[in-house]
Formats: sequence, structure tokens, C-alpha cells
Amino acid sequence: MSTGNLSRLDPEEVARAVTEFINATIMARSRPVRPDDDLELAGLDSMALLKVLLFIEAHYGFWMPDEDLVADNIRTARAFATYICRRSA
Amino acid sequence: MQALWKREGVSNNTLMVVHCDGQLDPARIARALERFVELCPWPASRLRRPFPWGQLHWAAPANAASEAPAVRHQRLTTPDGLHGLLEAELNHAIDPRVEPPLRVAIFDTMIDAAGPQSALVLTWFHPLMDPRGAQNLLAHLAHLDEVVDGRAPWGGTPPAFATEPDPRPLKERGRLGRQSQRHMRALVPESPVSPGSGLAHPGLIRFEQASFVGDDHGLGGVHSTREICWRLALVGRTMADLWRRRGLPDVPFLVPVSIDLRPKGEPGATFGNVLAFHFARFKPSDTSDVAALTRTLRDQMTEALRDGQIDASAVAMEFLKYRPVSLMLRDLPGTATRETFSFNCADLADFPPAPEKLFGRRVVNAYHAPAVLPRPGVGVFFNRCGIRNNLVVSWVEGAMKEEEVTRIIEGVREGMQWRPAR
Repeated sequence: MSTGNLSRLDPEEVARAVTEFINATIMARSRPVRPDDDLELAGLDSMALLKVLLFIEAHYGFWMPDEDLVADNIRTARAFATYICRRSA
Repeated sequence: MQALWKREGVSNNTLMVVHCDGQLDPARIARALERFVELCPWPASRLRRPFPWGQLHWAAPANAASEAPAVRHQRLTTPDGLHGLLEAELNHAIDPRVEPPLRVAIFDTMIDAAGPQSALVLTWFHPLMDPRGAQNLLAHLAHLDEVVDGRAPWGGTPPAFATEPDPRPLKERGRLGRQSQRHMRALVPESPVSPGSGLAHPGLIRFEQASFVGDDHGLGGVHSTREICWRLALVGRTMADLWRRRGLPDVPFLVPVSIDLRPKGEPGATFGNVLAFHFARFKPSDTSDVAALTRTLRDQMTEALRDGQIDASAVAMEFLKYRPVSLMLRDLPGTATRETFSFNCADLADFPPAPEKLFGRRVVNAYHAPAVLPRPGVGVFFNRCGIRNNLVVSWVEGAMKEEEVTRIIEGVREGMQWRPAR
């Protein structure tokens, strides 16, 4: 994905992309998460969190710094999306 | 040092201990085991290799059901005797070529305040399954115990008990396996340093388990004390203290951190080791600032993911997992002819909710204790069961003293701000 139009990111679309990534690479096929599901309760661990961060780096062109890795930004796929859009604006 | 352990029948056992709030009925567990091996013969299998050479594999006996592991039942007169029995289980090496790779025991204790209780103990040859697999096995046995009146277990569709083989071509898997081997060699330019230096005898495997309670800030991302890198840094600090007291040199050591490869959200496979390893690397002097070490370890883990080392390790494990330790040591430079030492750390997270009730009893606590290879090995393992945070330290007698183990447990407890569980 090009990172040239980050300021025009659609939060819904980003939430869908993050959710799709998590379901395709981390979750069991029979247990997909939805954008508002709590990711830790769904079973994501430290390694899974790093996978999501690498996905964000590859697709949105930045690495989430440690100080931003707080519950409000990472609790759900939608929280990730909100952060990504805010950061990209 | 490795020569010390040759031909010593070193145990590769692992224990899963489940404490229940009442006495378990051995006949119910034996029945569930028999039903299980009818569906899945792994617990009754033997490890075989075609003569003169061939792939190691598990072979089921002709009548697996009649060879289901027996359930040993023993009543203890004092609760203090339990720990000695558990350590004996750990040291009584299972030879999977001639006996089932799984043993099952029930130890009944009478604690005045709590009344009669049972500890259900699974002991297995480690390559049979990993601890998460043992948790799944218990859940399956509990399900078979509950399904009566002619109903088909799992609604007639049993889950997959083992993972499917890696579909990638052998050439590709071979390339990844060699990549992992090169990575491991590059990680250990120096000879390992061991707290077991000077050991004259292999020594028995020992373990210590402690339970704690306290908020561990589960939803804080990398600020969470549940994060494996934070826990590893804390454990590293306690190990560095041991290094200093022994006057060992400040050279980097490796800590294999096991990574569960099962997809999240469902139990996944029972048999086989569904694990990859990440090799964390730091010097004892790096541990003085735990927060900084946590960041370094997180960066190392990120790089391992980015470079595909985790995937390569998973493939390498496929090639290595049933081989004797002596063959594995060829792949770890410095271990075949010189000092050996293994320092292991893992967090098994939550004991799964399915066996909250097990054979009619409520689970009070559950934890696992492995023998850490290669000798002399030390392992520090976390898991949670309900509100209890368990910490298990496993070591080889002579490599550490009991007061040193106590100091490790106390150091981690203090760093986690946990309180002893009653």
C-alpha cells in the first residue's frame, strides 16, 4: 500500500484491514475477531502484538513507538485504526 | 561437560500437576483414557525408527485401548510428601521405545483446613507434546468423562489431535532449517558459561513452585507486566545475581523463549511440540536496568519476526524434535565438546477454562514443571490458573542451591509486585 495518501485514511477501512490481518495470520479460522473485540481476551499475546505492529509498519509506513503502546491504542482493531488515522493525519 | 551426561539415562520428562478441591476417582480417569486411546492412540504409542535408519515416528500398538497408560493411585499421609513424589516422577525417565510416553497418577492428600484433595499428575516424554498440548489432553479427557449415555463425543466430529504436516516442499523446509541453524551458530560465538561448572555428577532434577496473586496489568500492551519481554528481563536480573555471586564472566548468554504456534482462539493440537523458539541474548551486566533490557529484548524479538527467524525455527524444530539431545548439540556450537548450559523461560499464560471442573472436581491450581535440556539446565516458567500466578523454577541438583532458587523466585515476585497466594 502506498503511504502517500495517509492523511485521507478511512478509519473504517483501516479497522477492516487490521481485522483481516489478525484473522488471516493470528486467529484460528473458526474464531475470527471483529473490529471491536478485545484482542487480549481473544487470545493475542506478546508475539501476536509484534506481528500487528509489523503489519502497521509495512502498510502504513511507521513504527508505533513504545510510549504509544497503551491499552487505549491497542485494545481492539478499531483502536489500532483510530491511532493509525490520527498519527497519519 | 557434556560427557558427564552421556549414558546417564537423563530424563526428558515433563510434569503437569492439577490440584483439585476433592478426591478424584481413578476409575473415571482410567475409563476416559481408554476411550481416548480408542480415538487417538498417541498416549499408548512407542517411538520407533525403521531399521537400519529412517524417520523417528510414533507407532501405535495393535490394540491401543488395552495398552492405555495405567492410572497410579497413592494416598499420602502428609501433604509434605507430595513434592518428593513429583520430583521422583520427573526423574523417573520415560523410555518411549519400550513404554507408553505418558504416565498418569493421582496423589490424595488430607489437608486439615481444606479436607481431602487430589493432585492429578501427567508425566510425559517431552517430545510427545508441549505443556499446552497436555492442557488440551486434560480437556479432552474431561469431555470424554462427561459424555455418557451413548452420545458421541465432540458431537461425532473429534478435533484434530495433531497438527497437519508443513505443506511446504522439503527443499523449502530444508532451506529454512539451515537458515535457523546458521542463525543459532551466529548467536553463540563464545562458549557458554555455566553455573554447573565443576559438577562431578549429573544430579537429580529439582523444581520449586510458588503461587502468587496480584494485578499484573493485562491490558497495557508493552507496558504490561504480562509481556514476555518484561518477564524475561526480570528473570534475567535474578540470573545475573546468581552469575555475580558465582564470579562468572560477563559474557552473553542465550535464553530460548518458546513461542506457541497454535492459532489463537481455540485449543489447537494436542500432540507434537507446536512450538518455535526465539533466542533472546543479553549479558548479565545488561540486566541492571530492567526497563531498558525489556526494550532491547522486544527489539530482538521484532527483528527475529521481521527476518523470518521464528518461522525458520519452527521448521528447524520439525527436523530436530524427535532426535536425541546429542544430535541437537551438534547444532549448538560449543556444546558438543565444551561446557553446556541451557537456561529456559516461558509463559504458558492461562490454564484453559475447559477443565475448570475435572472429573467432577473443581481445579484449584495447575502448573507444569519440565526437565530442562541440555544439562545442567535451569528454567523459569510462568502460568496463571484463575487468580493464581504460578512461578516454577526447574534446575539440576548441584547447578544451583535451594537458597539461590528462593532468591530467583523472590526477585521475580518483587519485580511483579505479587503477594503470596494463600
